Amino acid sequence: MEEEQGGKKPDPMEQLRGMRDTYMEAWAKAMGEYVNSEQYAEQSGATLDAMLSVSAPFRAAVEKAMVNALQQMAMPTRPDFVSIAERLTNVEMRLDDLDVKLDRIAQAIAKIPIQPPASAAVHTPAGHEASAKKSAKKSAKKSAKQKGAH
Amino acid sequence: MPPEIVESKDFVAMQQRLQMLTKTLTSSAQVALTPKETVWTLNKAKLYRYVPQVPIEQRHPVPLLLVFALMNRPYILDLRPGASFVEYMVKQGYDVYLLDWGSPGPEDKHLKFDDYTLEYIPRAVRKMKALAGCEEFSLLGWCIGAILTTIYASLRPDDGLRNLTLLTAPLDFSKREQLTFARWTDEKYFDIDKVLATFGNMPAEMIEYGAKALKPVENYICNYLRLWDNLDNPQVVESWHAMNTWCADNIPIAGAAFRQLIVDLYRNDRLMKGELLIRGERVDLAKVRANLLAVIAENDHITPPCQTEPAIAKMGSADKEIYRVPGGHIGIMAGSGACKRTWPHLNEWLAKRSQRVQANQAPPEPRAA
Repeated sequence: MEEEQGGKKPDPMEQLRGMRDTYMEAWAKAMGEYVNSEQYAEQSGATLDAMLSVSAPFRAAVEKAMVNALQQMAMPTRPDFVSIAERLTNVEMRLDDLDVKLDRIAQAIAKIPIQPPASAAVHTPAGHEASAKKSAKKSAKKSAKQKGAH
Repeated sequence: MPPEIVESKDFVAMQQRLQMLTKTLTSSAQVALTPKETVWTLNKAKLYRYVPQVPIEQRHPVPLLLVFALMNRPYILDLRPGASFVEYMVKQGYDVYLLDWGSPGPEDKHLKFDDYTLEYIPRAVRKMKALAGCEEFSLLGWCIGAILTTIYASLRPDDGLRNLTLLTAPLDFSKREQLTFARWTDEKYFDIDKVLATFGNMPAEMIEYGAKALKPVENYICNYLRLWDNLDNPQVVESWHAMNTWCADNIPIAGAAFRQLIVDLYRNDRLMKGELLIRGERVDLAKVRANLLAVIAENDHITPPCQTEPAIAKMGSADKEIYRVPGGHIGIMAGSGACKRTWPHLNEWLAKRSQRVQANQAPPEPRAA
């Protein structure tokens, strides 16, 4: 009948899913109200407190025993690693500070205008040729003088 | 079992569903795939720069730094290709950086908000500015990341921060009756000294339990029923898998920072009262001057809207806007609707404010909240 009317076969799973979702919605709402209550806060706090009261002394005892055992074997302990890690972080901080300073110095240097030396004022190819000829003449004169002296 | 049953269509289909379910529940999804490089590190923190995907002339000159919460991995911002905020923003031409706090070890139990806001963020910002070649930048903080960026923006307003975006920012803790976490962590019930004396840092498992217990039926039952109902839909399964990978990947919070979160904020609301001291400096919300966009998730059960709105009103920014999005704490940025609503709005807002300001050009017109 339904198949003829709607052109689709009714899916019994769909109805079950709908019922399930309605139930879940109601349950979610009830649980949402419960976890938001003072009663839940009190109960969860008490549970956590009981758990910590048991586990904290146990953890402390295990850690103490472990430190003692490792020290006996001349092995590094957790506090040793923690100390090294803290020192490494400090070194990283110092390096980062140095990086900042170097950047500032590099920026300051980049801002200084560079003045070319007076002797290197001529940069044209023609200028280069002229200066090269002059230096060649000077060196020739020097070598002639040296030969005469010998 | 008789072969006619084993070979039947329904049996094979059920077998395939079970295989898919097992695979999804027992493996980690491929996440955080947008190409990036690590450009700075300090202790466990890393600064990533995402490889630009548009030509330089089409890029926004002002870089964007993303700061996520301390207790979850930040790859929720880059969950999977096609569903990644980072990928979206990189394609929109932003120079995107992400500050990953890393997972604190026992040696980091003394780290406080003071360290995160006055050591880590300023150093990461300096590096980002040097790499981007820009003195100004935008900052996006999400959840506890929004607390940290707000503190930074208030204490260092002259650091070049042009745009501040706060997502689901828990800043006002005065309406305690609306905050389930405030009730749970009340000093009558929750002995923070005992917890931190035992563990040093706040363990990831406890944080995960706390987040899930806010909506126990949804998180522990309905979530898995949704997967079961959609096992035939690869898109839903892929999305569920990635999100489940992220939800199960929590990290501890440094003990001292957790103490500040509970004692200074949840119990005493010191930020809104103007009593929060960070290395002796008072955090004054009125000192935040950057252009401000606050995104509020209307159905957020972790940070209800009442935790953000009053704080935004107190901030000193001339240009501020509150954008309300239907959705939950994570869904507004990583849900299926994020790419249609939240991301385009963030892009539109930031794009107007991420241009190079010429000497004769006025900044964008302020918009009232």
